[in-house]
Amino acid sequence: MEDALWAGVRFVHVVSAMVWVGGQLTVSLVVLPLARRILDGERRSTVLTAIGRRFGRLTGAVFLPVQLGTGIALAWSVGVTWASLAVPGHGRVLVAKLLLFCGVMAAASLHGAANARGRARLARTMAVTSLVASVGVVLLATLLPRI
Amino acid sequence: MEAQQRLIAAHVHLNLLGWVGLSVLGTLFTLWPTILRTRIVDGTATLARRCPSLLLTGLVVAAAGLSFDARWVALAGLMLYSAGVLVVLVPLVRTALRERPAGAAAWSVAASLVWLLAALVVDILAVAGNAPHEVFAALQPLIPLFLVGFVGQVLLGSLTYLLLVVLGGGPKAVRANGALLERGWRARLVCLNLALPLTMLPGAPGAVAWAVVLICALVFVALAMTAVARAREVTVSPAVLGTGVGAVLTVLALVFALSGTAGQASGVGPTGQLRTVEVALGDMVIEPATVTVDPGDALVLQVRNEDAQPHDLRMDNGARTPVLGPGESATLEVGVVEDSLEGWCSVMGHRAAGMTMTVLTTDFDAGAPTDQRGHSGSHPSASAGHTESTEAWEALDLSGEMSRGWEPLDPVLPPAPDVEEHEVQIRVSESEQEVAPGLRQPVWTFGGTVPGPILRGGLGDVFTITLVNDGTMGHSIDFHAGALAPDEPMRTIAPGEELTYRFTARKAGAWLYHCSTKPMTHHLANGMYGAVIIDPPDLAEVDREYVLVQGELYLGEPGGAEQSARIRDGRPHGWMFNGTAAGYEHAPLPAKVGERVRVWVVTAGPTSGTSFHVVGTFFDTVYKEGAYLLRPGEDGGAQALDLGVAQGGFVETVFPQAGHYPFVDHDLRRAEAGAHGHFAVGED
Repeated sequence: MEDALWAGVRFVHVVSAMVWVGGQLTVSLVVLPLARRILDGERRSTVLTAIGRRFGRLTGAVFLPVQLGTGIALAWSVGVTWASLAVPGHGRVLVAKLLLFCGVMAAASLHGAANARGRARLARTMAVTSLVASVGVVLLATLLPRI
Repeated sequence: MEAQQRLIAAHVHLNLLGWVGLSVLGTLFTLWPTILRTRIVDGTATLARRCPSLLLTGLVVAAAGLSFDARWVALAGLMLYSAGVLVVLVPLVRTALRERPAGAAAWSVAASLVWLLAALVVDILAVAGNAPHEVFAALQPLIPLFLVGFVGQVLLGSLTYLLLVVLGGGPKAVRANGALLERGWRARLVCLNLALPLTMLPGAPGAVAWAVVLICALVFVALAMTAVARAREVTVSPAVLGTGVGAVLTVLALVFALSGTAGQASGVGPTGQLRTVEVALGDMVIEPATVTVDPGDALVLQVRNEDAQPHDLRMDNGARTPVLGPGESATLEVGVVEDSLEGWCSVMGHRAAGMTMTVLTTDFDAGAPTDQRGHSGSHPSASAGHTESTEAWEALDLSGEMSRGWEPLDPVLPPAPDVEEHEVQIRVSESEQEVAPGLRQPVWTFGGTVPGPILRGGLGDVFTITLVNDGTMGHSIDFHAGALAPDEPMRTIAPGEELTYRFTARKAGAWLYHCSTKPMTHHLANGMYGAVIIDPPDLAEVDREYVLVQGELYLGEPGGAEQSARIRDGRPHGWMFNGTAAGYEHAPLPAKVGERVRVWVVTAGPTSGTSFHVVGTFFDTVYKEGAYLLRPGEDGGAQALDLGVAQGGFVETVFPQAGHYPFVDHDLRRAEAGAHGHFAVGED
């Protein structure tokens, strides 16, 4: 029973990450190019801004709480302690993953801030940074022998 | 070794203070005023001509002093060099007083000079306080500070200035580039110089400090690249730039994630648990000797040297502490433990003397069913020993021929010398011996042979033994034939030392003597044993007397992991009579029909005794552990002399016919693994 519960928590953690990274990929690789090609200037910017805002809200309201909650719970379930984080191996991979995730969040926030101030180049750069580093987080997650 | 350390110290000084230091100081005569946008102060030219000779002389003297083990010469040289540096600083300070430093370039260079002065002070203290061969070891941890604080900052300052010049592009562009390169320079300068000394902290704080230093450097590199890109009018698409930044972040995270895990097998997943254990290094002992963890646990050892001499702790996964002086401590991050590990003090001889420990995993006894890796057992040394034993059996060809020129240890026991006081010198040496046909093995010996010299005397005789340790580790000696307080005579003596061991033979018997330095198993397993024969008063005359000391054979490097595991498990590669497995198969013991032959047998172990048997005959006399079990003329006969570990006795027999009579340990596993030889009995 307990195993099933933890499998469920792990499932939520993975699915949430999948949706978030997949969402970024979809926006960057599918929505943006099409929007550029099909929509004219003003509508494009309206649509893209709306997409960005909605994605940002979802990130803050759903994705982050879910990831942090399930992530902390999973770490607790496999017995991760503050001290074990300092040790090479599982602890260090987890720390690297968390640091990279912080980097992703920083890039995502910068993306939002840059968009708000109309700095399109920085915004676009940070969006791609966030996307690539997110994939990096997934890579590090696969290195954790037991998620 | 010491000479090499001295040369390294000299080499480091020549490189850092000479090659790097001199070129920086020379450049600063002109670069410093240029950065401050002022003229060179008067008199600089004269100084600039004189300083090099002062600096160079000081440096050469210092390097020579370090190389040739002359501490005070080295110190004088360093003083001279430092004086030269101070002289160089005079015009630099005068320039700065005329035109106050402003901006990133000037302050970086200024900060770097503070680091140079600090480095010289530390260097002088290090040379004054350490023997030249210890100077490098003392300074080594500080060298990164010098490289970053002095060399790195001078480079950073110069580049900040020189990049503007190189990029050029008119006053407006220069101002724009200048503003770009100096972005956040005060914060960067302060962070770097505050974080740099903190990098010396152990553990996480030190790592964080290094991260801060690295970020400061990377920010400058990023700014410089941006400035160059701007000047060259290079534009990079946000997608490429974003991918680059994301990839760099990922690679940094990956490198960090995988750091410190190299060499670890991944058979067991880490549990995320951390075990911290306090370990005390004592007098030839590590406590606790065994630490048990769950496989996959991360292990941290808090190591403290509680002994009066230096020790360290080294694990066979490569983790090790520095050498700790008395009372010093260190934190040893062993890492994730997936299989059992051995730990030992790597100071010469200490491992063999018993400074070992074992980290066991709790699946030690779990056995094959839970082991998914296909070994018959999950104990790593057992599985390693398994493959190793196959190789050893291949190397151990008992039916093979002894090497040309091999001489068997003479098994003939001469009568006791006609004296009551026996004075014997026994020199301990670590040598090599043919322990089985065609197989040479390092051995530790009393007197150059395994077993050591066989001493013989009568009741009441006094033996005065001078033990001289010509080995490379501590050794000792313990004569079972004497009764005395072990404290002094059985003490371990260091290489080069000697002791006197005096005992009176109050009881008859066939006695063992052996090295009693910890771990005794290792000292006995590697050959440190011998025998003392004290004749019973009524000992009859016989035609021939032989002595056989039975011991175990453990192949491999003495004290090495393989051998240690074998010894611990009590699984010798073979058994030997008088130091060679199957040796007397190639050099039979002669006898003649009708002769009465007495064979003295002593067992050295360290883990097994014997059941001594001669094929084709029986014994009519058995003397075991100081008493006759059987005498000639009685009705009974004996087939084997059974001896536990560290026991002795003799048997007598009369060979009925000419022929070849094998003698064996009738525990036939041991016989087949080398505990056999034979008597070649000829016609009278």
